[in-house]
Amino acid sequence: MKNKFLLGMAAACIAILSCNQGTDKQEQKEFVNTLEFAPGDEAKIAEAFLTLKDSSEIHLREGLYKFDNLSLAQLKHIQISGEGPDKTILDFSQQTQGGEGIRVTDTKNFTIRDMTIRDSKGDLLKINKSEDVTVLNLHAIWQKADSTSGGYAIYPVMCRRVLIDNCYAEGSSDAGIYVGQTDSAIVRNCKASRNVAGCEIENTSHAQVYENEFFGNTAGFLVFDLPGLSKRGGFVKAYHNYIHDNNIKNFAKAGSFGTYWGVGNASPGSGVIILAASNVEIFDNKIENNNSSAIAIASGLAVDDKALEKINDNYFPISSHISIHGNTMTMSDKFPEPAYEHHIGKLLVGIEQMLNASDKERKNKRIPFIMYDGISSNILNQGTKANPDSLCIRQEGDNIFVNADLLNMSKPTKWHPSTDWKDYSCN
Amino acid sequence: MRKIFFVVIGLSAFVALLCWIESCRDNIHLPTSAKTEFVFKDKLSEYNFFKGELRNLNPSPGVTRYELATPLFTDYAVKDRFIALPRDKSIQYTSNGVLNFPDSTIIIKNFAYRNVDNRKVMIETRLLVKDPADKNWKVMDYLWDSTQKDAVKHITGAKIPITLLDDDNNKISTIYQVPNTNDCKRCHYSTGNLTPIGPKARNLNTILEGHGANQLAEWVSQKMLVGLPDLSQVEKMPNWKDSVHYSVTQRARAYLDINCSHCHTKGGDAMNTGLFLEYQEQDKQHLGIMKSPVSAGGGAGGMNYDVVPGDATHSILAYRMNSTEPGTAMPELARSIVHKEAVHLIVQWINEMKQVKK
Repeated sequence: MKNKFLLGMAAACIAILSCNQGTDKQEQKEFVNTLEFAPGDEAKIAEAFLTLKDSSEIHLREGLYKFDNLSLAQLKHIQISGEGPDKTILDFSQQTQGGEGIRVTDTKNFTIRDMTIRDSKGDLLKINKSEDVTVLNLHAIWQKADSTSGGYAIYPVMCRRVLIDNCYAEGSSDAGIYVGQTDSAIVRNCKASRNVAGCEIENTSHAQVYENEFFGNTAGFLVFDLPGLSKRGGFVKAYHNYIHDNNIKNFAKAGSFGTYWGVGNASPGSGVIILAASNVEIFDNKIENNNSSAIAIASGLAVDDKALEKINDNYFPISSHISIHGNTMTMSDKFPEPAYEHHIGKLLVGIEQMLNASDKERKNKRIPFIMYDGISSNILNQGTKANPDSLCIRQEGDNIFVNADLLNMSKPTKWHPSTDWKDYSCN
Repeated sequence: MRKIFFVVIGLSAFVALLCWIESCRDNIHLPTSAKTEFVFKDKLSEYNFFKGELRNLNPSPGVTRYELATPLFTDYAVKDRFIALPRDKSIQYTSNGVLNFPDSTIIIKNFAYRNVDNRKVMIETRLLVKDPADKNWKVMDYLWDSTQKDAVKHITGAKIPITLLDDDNNKISTIYQVPNTNDCKRCHYSTGNLTPIGPKARNLNTILEGHGANQLAEWVSQKMLVGLPDLSQVEKMPNWKDSVHYSVTQRARAYLDINCSHCHTKGGDAMNTGLFLEYQEQDKQHLGIMKSPVSAGGGAGGMNYDVVPGDATHSILAYRMNSTEPGTAMPELARSIVHKEAVHLIVQWINEMKQVKK
């Protein structure tokens, strides 16, 4: 009896050792259940999503899959994988109901990787109220980039600990990569093109955005806080990104030139926009050829005259503690055409004209790279403090900064935009 | 060994006899085990919720029909609602939110439509089960078969082409959307758990047609409900169609509560929008008044505010209720056609709202 027991133990040991050889096998062992499907299995896949148990992987082999929509809810330790963005393609053009192509709610430890998802009616991938989310090597695209596209391509919201790595987003009528009301997020090694906004970090705290390329959008990268939401953003760092050539028309909605909320306010030609956000650091980026504004710092009052009434624990409309340093910035010699038709674009054009009209020495230079709306917390207490909201700008070169004095823009005699930035410099 | 066997047989026979004598509720199949997870039956008929022909929905003893003051709209569907309570157990009254149902309760909701011959055609039956094993509510859908004799367990949802009669007997052809089990969870989700939506005291506080007494009072007399205070103390949800007893605002807010607030509430699926439409909500920003959307994208139709007082044409709320386009239509689920009577009410509510100075 004893001998048999020992023999069994030895066999078990060998089995464990042999299983541990090779990383592939180890990865498979990570999940209790692994399900594999091929094109044609769409009905089975939809059912598998609905009946999935904790600790499962769904692997989709190479090919084109057509879905109405897919959803996952209340699960732990799940991975949805393909064989690469150019091999495994999920098409949602048949969507007839609901707000998104893939919807993930209330999960812990969720990963989606190595595939393309495309052409849903609403958002492409929405991940709601989840923890430890990884989106890896995923392409999320609308092949036709116009106002009929859904809002967001990759859309984690109200999550904790999100990693978006090596992804591509195209064609969104709002933001390609959008992280909303989330705590702790990383967006890295991603690209976003032909969206209204390439990437947007909104009411999200502790976000790091690095080694990305946002190009060919209306606006490259946004850090926004909006009123009335579940949490405040802040502590956002963006560095080593290449943000360039974001000059296309704001197609947030057909028939109008941008609505007056969210990305509708992004002027064509915007590199980076910081709106009503705090503790944001933008450094060591290449911000090139965004031809209305390289970096704009604005308060909620710039887009909403009721913003002060909306102050609460989760919202403060004045941007503060903004640090900008070491970026390479260039701009071409004129605004992009669509900026002239956009409500904020028109303001930027007006600022450039005013600066050049009032100072011949400028010799018709472009609007400075960094546009600050000049609406500070002095407005709350009729204060006169210089730089009360702790802007800190450390940039080499000429034509760096303008305080646009936006509040007085509609009163020509009082309006004095100024390029003097000694109060904001921490050189 | 043998002795025990006989004792067991004897006891079982005794219990069976007792049940038979009392025309026992235990006929109905409700969850019994606190140890193992409840397993849904394959067919609706297996629960014995109904006597006689299943499609007549004639409730067995222990199954009680109920109605809501203001119901959720689902493509003009005809709905029948029932509660199956475990034997000798009662519902505990709560003033706020869903009543406190005992473990093993099953809530049954049947969906049918009136076809062009004005005959009731069964589509689906949805069950919400409070599983004693983990105290959680669970959902399952049963799809009626083509013979209309029984309904079969169905988790993946379905699209069913139908031609129905609306409330004015207009013929409408549509693709009725049977939800999949995750769709069910979307609306029945609140702060991490599944929950019923309709059976809140305020929404049950009504007199059913053909009944003399208030529904909640009837439940007390049937020992189904305990803890009910004097009815004057119980909130009352307006009937959204009753323009005699309720103002436009009351009716509109009741409709929005029942049709929207299961998601548009703190902790609900649409919490991220900051638009909260519960009946008691008073914050203008949360009610959408001059509130910009957050993540509506193109669904906002290029407009700037959820509700512009005095101007329904430029209010996103009315626009989205009046659409059937995915990505725009609200609610996102359970509606493939526009509820025109409701849109009319909401438009009236917004247009009669006092304009704000811009």
